[in-house]
Amino acid sequence: MFARLFTQNQNRLYIAQCLLFLAALGAFFSLASPYFLSLGNVNNVLTAGAVIGLMAIGATFVIASGGIDLSSAGVMAFCGTLCAFCLQKGGWSPWLALPFSIGLGGLCGFLTGFLVNITEAPSFIVSLGMMSVARAAAYIVSKGMPIYGLPDNVISAGQGQMLGLQVPVLLLIVGIVLAWILLTQTQFGLHTLILGDNAFAAQAMGVPAGRVRLKTFTLAGIYSGVAGIIFMLRTNSGDPTAGQGYELIAITAVILGGANLFGGRATIIGTVLGVLCLGVLQNGLNLLAVSTYYQTLFVGLVLIAAAFLSRVRSQR
Amino acid sequence: MSGLRLENITKSFGAIQVLQPMTLAFKAGQVTAIVGDNGAGKSTLLKVMAGIHKPNAGAIYLDDKLLTNLSAADHRACGVEMVYQDLALAKQQNVVANLFLGREQTRTCFGFLNRTAMAERAKNELNRLGISIADLNTPVGMLSGGQQQAVAIARAALFEPKVLLFDEPTAALAAREVGQVLDLIRQQKEQGRIVILVSHRLNDVFAVADRIVVMKQGRLISDTPTAATSMSKVVENIVG
Ligand SMILES: Nc1ncnc2c1ncn2[C@@H]1O[C@H](COP(=O)(O)OP(=O)(O)O)[C@@H](O)[C@H]1O
Ligand SMILES: [Mg+2]
Repeated sequence: MFARLFTQNQNRLYIAQCLLFLAALGAFFSLASPYFLSLGNVNNVLTAGAVIGLMAIGATFVIASGGIDLSSAGVMAFCGTLCAFCLQKGGWSPWLALPFSIGLGGLCGFLTGFLVNITEAPSFIVSLGMMSVARAAAYIVSKGMPIYGLPDNVISAGQGQMLGLQVPVLLLIVGIVLAWILLTQTQFGLHTLILGDNAFAAQAMGVPAGRVRLKTFTLAGIYSGVAGIIFMLRTNSGDPTAGQGYELIAITAVILGGANLFGGRATIIGTVLGVLCLGVLQNGLNLLAVSTYYQTLFVGLVLIAAAFLSRVRSQR
Repeated sequence: MSGLRLENITKSFGAIQVLQPMTLAFKAGQVTAIVGDNGAGKSTLLKVMAGIHKPNAGAIYLDDKLLTNLSAADHRACGVEMVYQDLALAKQQNVVANLFLGREQTRTCFGFLNRTAMAERAKNELNRLGISIADLNTPVGMLSGGQQQAVAIARAALFEPKVLLFDEPTAALAAREVGQVLDLIRQQKEQGRIVILVSHRLNDVFAVADRIVVMKQGRLISDTPTAATSMSKVVENIVG
């Protein structure tokens, strides 16, 4: 009876599981370190989470549609580097440089989706190609060296606060709200989930599968682009090596949040909780001065556990 | 000429010709059963009629409108609906989303879903069809086989189609559920629709069909009114 009640609300169940995991992590680290719950540290977790968070939200759409996007970190680094280049070397106004870089992020995603559509190859292969292309583009733009010395007005705007929130956190919140509306309230969101659930049914019933796929990858590219801008603001530089391996952390967060790795089920709230779990884990391990090797190990273990959980969940 | 007409339809997959030139006509208010051994090409024929497969040659007309080469979505728009053998449902989506799959009702701008309107209409239509499902928010994958079949049929019948194609709708069902599906098929016939039923369960075929077409290796073997044939003759045509 209870099992039945729960399985009928799978999304709620997985969100509850994720909350529980988050609470357990929080309880453990707040006992282990007195700094963990300090305002400064909470702010740390949130601003650090903004980059992964935006990438993970973009990845949520792709995973919901039955695809995988491995290019998000490459695109993120490319957009951040490009934006720094335009601002610092090109002397562009931020009002031009930011939309331009984010737009090119969207174009990278559009190209990935377009190539998946015309080659009918698995998206993880195509996006693996885009990952290299975008990363290479970041190196080419920056000639392999980080670009330092952003204009002062950009730095102060990026590190300032609005409504008592850091700008990255504010951007993350806007990104969350927009994504939630798109995924849960629009025909596009429903079509994304249906495409990932049963591609044949989608096609047979007249869902424009190619167009939906194109939109999910483009959206993921845009979210990665914004993540790249935040990374640039946080590090005060355009770094072509930025965020190596972040794409896997983003995917881990989505799966941890209860999405079906094979498509058809995903929630924005779950993804956000997944991001927070991973952020808290990393932050807590930092506070406890656990070496980064072990941190990587823990993230890997969580990914494996999440993949296992996703399999168990999709069998129900 | 009204009705659904196939003229010299052929279909090959690579080097294998699955449908030999096939000419058939179907009338409104009539249930035609297509029977034949496994691999005879029955599902392929239905999928050609539904626009899933493009025929290699020949033409399909519905009430004199040429359907050949239109997409599956266009076939639906023209009033041709198919209930697939594997049902083609999105199992993680609820009943309402599946009933409106590809035809979601939106508010005027930005494609915002009108969920209340869809839920309301879904409830009414299921009542009209005599299908009872306790909670329309249940993911379809959680329903029984018979209920899933009913959802797939309801989706096909929801928007007043002219042609309904059923591929093995009773194959996976318990006896009690079979009766419900046959009732739904009769109901669609009485609404004056063209109903085409592929089934290997001859009991079901003789219970609802007005006409029985036998196929073998992509060819038409026989085409007779149900009243003018018998179970043993049909079996003979299938295996002979
Ligand atoms: N998409 C396809 N690609 C290649 N061969 C197919 C395809 N669909 C069906 N066939 C072949 O066509 C023949 C007829 O299949 P089908 O129409 O499913 O038969 P039936 O429904 O009468 O059992 C079979 O030999 C099958 O292997
Ligand atoms: Mg078949």
